[in-house]
Amino acid sequence: MPELDVGLIGAGGIARAHLPAWTALGAKVTVLSTDGRAEGLAAEYAAHGVEAVHSLDELLARCSLVDVCTPSFTHKELALAAMAAGKHVICEKPLALSVADAQEMIDAAEAAGVRLFPAHVVRFFPEYEALAKAVADGAVGEPAVLRFTRSGSYPVWAPWFADAGLSGGILLDQMIHDFDFARLLAGEVVRVHAQARGRLTAPAEAGAVAAATAVLTHASGAVSHVHGVWGLPDTQFRTTYRVAGRDGVLHHDSLQTQAFRVVAQGERAAGQGIPATDLARNPFEAELGEFAAAALAGGPEPRVSAHDALAAVRIAAAAAESALTGAAVEIESGELVSR
Amino acid sequence: MKVGVLSFAHVHATGYVKVLQAMDGVEVLAADPDPDPDPAAAGEVRGRELAEQLGVAYADTYQEVFDWGPDAVIVTAENARHRALVELAAKHGVGAVLCEKPLATTAADGEAMVAACRESGTRLGVAYPVRFHPAYGALRRAVQGGSLGGVLAVAGANNGYLPTGLRRWFTDPELAGGGALMDHTVHIADLLDDLFGADVRAEEVYAQANNLMYAEEADAETAGLVTVRYSNGTVATIDCSWSQPRSHPAWGGLELQVVGERATVEMDAFGQSVTGFDERSARGVLLPWGVNLDEILLRAFLYGTAAGGVAVADGEAGLRSLRVALAARESARVSRPVPVG
Repeated sequence: MPELDVGLIGAGGIARAHLPAWTALGAKVTVLSTDGRAEGLAAEYAAHGVEAVHSLDELLARCSLVDVCTPSFTHKELALAAMAAGKHVICEKPLALSVADAQEMIDAAEAAGVRLFPAHVVRFFPEYEALAKAVADGAVGEPAVLRFTRSGSYPVWAPWFADAGLSGGILLDQMIHDFDFARLLAGEVVRVHAQARGRLTAPAEAGAVAAATAVLTHASGAVSHVHGVWGLPDTQFRTTYRVAGRDGVLHHDSLQTQAFRVVAQGERAAGQGIPATDLARNPFEAELGEFAAAALAGGPEPRVSAHDALAAVRIAAAAAESALTGAAVEIESGELVSR
Repeated sequence: MKVGVLSFAHVHATGYVKVLQAMDGVEVLAADPDPDPDPAAAGEVRGRELAEQLGVAYADTYQEVFDWGPDAVIVTAENARHRALVELAAKHGVGAVLCEKPLATTAADGEAMVAACRESGTRLGVAYPVRFHPAYGALRRAVQGGSLGGVLAVAGANNGYLPTGLRRWFTDPELAGGGALMDHTVHIADLLDDLFGADVRAEEVYAQANNLMYAEEADAETAGLVTVRYSNGTVATIDCSWSQPRSHPAWGGLELQVVGERATVEMDAFGQSVTGFDERSARGVLLPWGVNLDEILLRAFLYGTAAGGVAVADGEAGLRSLRVALAARESARVSRPVPVG
């Protein structure tokens, strides 16, 4: 790959996950954020040549690819600016807060002749990658009934998550991962019913809980249940799935597959515990490497496209409308129709 | 105590007979006079032959069982045939009837059964054994004791084999009233009915179903997802699918996650088992060691339960969980949420 110059916008949680992946890929990274945290983040990675800048123009002048890791409500504006400057864009999920915004971004990428990739990182998690490959190879036959759960502590570290107007709420911010995966495995979604409960509006303090359920009906007739929880502070991050068809079933529970476990460590001060990690490989590195290679080095087409991201936003939008009105929402020729 | 077992149509009849045989002071008389040759499963054994295999006394007609003067009867006929047998038991003044779930295939049948038993003074129970699982007891204490705070959402799964390997009527829309939606929605609907108590009711149901897995061999739906909204605001989604592969060492299971404002708890009713591998058969080994739920259910039905503990579902409770399943069947047909009738 030619020199990989990346402009990373944002210095929060997801930027902290992407940055080490970029340096591992040998990228030269420039960081920009408006909250004053870019300098600190760059300083941590100074040995890798990471530098902070103070304006978007500076950032765009130094990179060929922009990685948008900002709060969801800023994705569109930043991505459009980067694409207008001729930069390829990787955008954190959700691609945008609305179907119209996501479509506008896709149109802008086409008009500018640049690539736009959505950071649907679950596509790159090994346990999901294995599932997708097995299902595509016929391991369960045609999928008939699918279940996905995803739970973690309520994201109270940044206030915008709890504000559905800024994040889309749990349905768009969190459950979109499983909406995307359900569609990948069982095909286009034609009907959605969802309900959300708990703390669904800002502000949310530690101890707040939100939970949502969504039932998707696929064009094939298959049905998917997606269950999402933003839970109490001691909620262990956990994902599960069960995918069944007439020829078999595949299931996973992240609590059962921890390759490294801390069995006992006494009482320790916060942050002093033995750090636990159990991934076979870093999914962020696989994701960003695949996107960068496709954008800059003629690599193969990535496994997930902006059109997939748009479809996932559409499913989440249908779920949000259903949760609001109580109706089942049909997706007809890309339009949402309440029943 | 004399207990009659009416019909071997439901696969649970065999388990009940074995439990009753092992109980001190219980005499059992079974009748299974109307097995359908069509639709019979391959190798299906019914009637006197099954009674002889089980070593249980057998009567050729239901009337003989009633003439014997049973203290209680267990109705394990096809779902659509529950009503006739329960009404017959009420007419003969039997003191207590335990009816297999779901109570009936229509609300009208269920209402008639409840009314008949009320008039005759017959105690009507519905066979929901998972109520008696110790894990459900712990979950119930946690919720009812307030440890969870308000319950926000429930994710439940009650999956199993396609049951037609043992009895074909399970997928006959007339005899069963439907497929997986009727067979497996009601267990979790009943648990939540008991969990939330008398003041909370299921209000609305949304369901989607398909028969992608067994289109060639089943007339009814074999997969389904059911979302129930309760009057306390809780939303529960139940996977009721017969999606357990038929050669799997485990028949299926029942799992529940309850998300509350102050705690989240889970139960796995059939997760207590030794697992391993048998090299000779080249198959996985599964040795369940959990409690025998049928035994606890039948003891509770025949001898009662401690005050404040979990009680056998009564006819009204059986009618309420039936209404959830019936609403699911209707919702799946129209693809819209429907009120619980």
